Amino acid sequence: MVRNFKSLKKKYDEIVIPKELDTVVQEALKKRRIKQLTAKWSAGVAAAALLFTTSVNVSPAMAQALSEVPIVGEVVKVITVKQFEEEDDLLSADIKVPAVTGLENKNLEDSLNEDYLEEGKTLYKEFEAIMELVNEGESDHYAISSDFEVKTDNEQILVLERYVSRIAGSSSTSLQYDTIDKKNEILLSLPMLFKDDSYIQVISENIKHQMLEQMKSDTDKVYWVEDAGLDNFDDFFKAIKAEQQFYINNNGKLVISFDEYEVAPGYMGTVEFIIPTEVLREVLVSNEYIH
Amino acid sequence: MGLLKKSKTEKELTKFILENKESLYRIAYSYVKNQEDALDIVQESIHKALIHINTLENQISLKSWFYKIIVNTSLDYLRKYKRLSVVDATVMEALANGSEDEYHDLDLQAAIDHLPDKYKTIILLRYFEDMKIEEIAKIVDENVNTIKTRLYRALKLLKVELDEDLTIEEDKHGKKF
Repeated sequence: MVRNFKSLKKKYDEIVIPKELDTVVQEALKKRRIKQLTAKWSAGVAAAALLFTTSVNVSPAMAQALSEVPIVGEVVKVITVKQFEEEDDLLSADIKVPAVTGLENKNLEDSLNEDYLEEGKTLYKEFEAIMELVNEGESDHYAISSDFEVKTDNEQILVLERYVSRIAGSSSTSLQYDTIDKKNEILLSLPMLFKDDSYIQVISENIKHQMLEQMKSDTDKVYWVEDAGLDNFDDFFKAIKAEQQFYINNNGKLVISFDEYEVAPGYMGTVEFIIPTEVLREVLVSNEYIH
Repeated sequence: MGLLKKSKTEKELTKFILENKESLYRIAYSYVKNQEDALDIVQESIHKALIHINTLENQISLKSWFYKIIVNTSLDYLRKYKRLSVVDATVMEALANGSEDEYHDLDLQAAIDHLPDKYKTIILLRYFEDMKIEEIAKIVDENVNTIKTRLYRALKLLKVELDEDLTIEEDKHGKKF
């Protein structure tokens, strides 16, 4: 007697997949926690931070960088003033601090560079605090790295992208952009490009549309957007923030950027959308930067 | 240096989960037999996998590792909520010796459902998920011979005979025509 396994296998394959499965999986992937490490502050940390500051100021590498290494452009440059590296089996830090040079508007130059240095120090402090936890055996792996890249450099605009990546069990990456008008020597913000607040909705609608289009043409892509078949999902992308991260690319197009997990599952990484200029025509102050 | 590799593993894991979510759901469902609990198990397994991703080593494949999590989570679930219907040897014997003429799929399904977990898992993975004996051995943490023995025993309990469509091991000479 041969019992019919085949039809059982068929029955198994026909187990009804509830429509909630997609949402459950997406929620589970989203709500996964980056292991939260509570940093403990101590005298040792303060001393280390002081050391860091000092080494930035006197580092021969920095002096050399300042004197001779033009990385981009002809007048306005971005250089590495400090690279801090540390690595052992459990811990790794690689923090690069950029500096903008060659701006006549020294107020702008100084304030940007102070911000960059301050951020580098903060990351280093964060690393120091976690290093203590790891050494006390309260935590296992931790890696932090920060770097920067010149995204756009033309006659008018310089865009500096900075990213910070943290890995503790799982990873997260965040991006920041500074878009500098080299002619007028000002730092551009998203709201100042537009006549009024209506840009938020115009851009958000366009992004939602692009998300749905991308998901349609590539099933590997997932965005947390409504009407994409995710039911009862409580954290859909609704609208960009007024000061959403953005930059202007070499073609004069506006690019909106999102951090990991901001609008999509972690495997999608950081995502960005180029907004077609036609869509923005009504709301732009002028076509000076975006065209 | 292994640190930066981890984010790559996480991307692979997410991709695996998205590609195999239906299969993961079916496995969970096969144990608990209801939608709500099966969804809970899928969710909990994903959480566990993401939290323990750094325990994933090279010697075990991502697939075996995740299936191990889903099988164990399902079994834990059954234990926790005491929905496990205990079948003793007598019942098993009765099932195995039932009237042969009246057998049909439903009986076999019921018999599988009533198999002790250690047999059920193996039947499920081998014949419904088409996994290799070696893979199953890794998932349930037993050696290959133990799995083979259990598989024979399970088939015997179910009174299933082996034929061309049903082999203990994969055909080593490739596909039959």
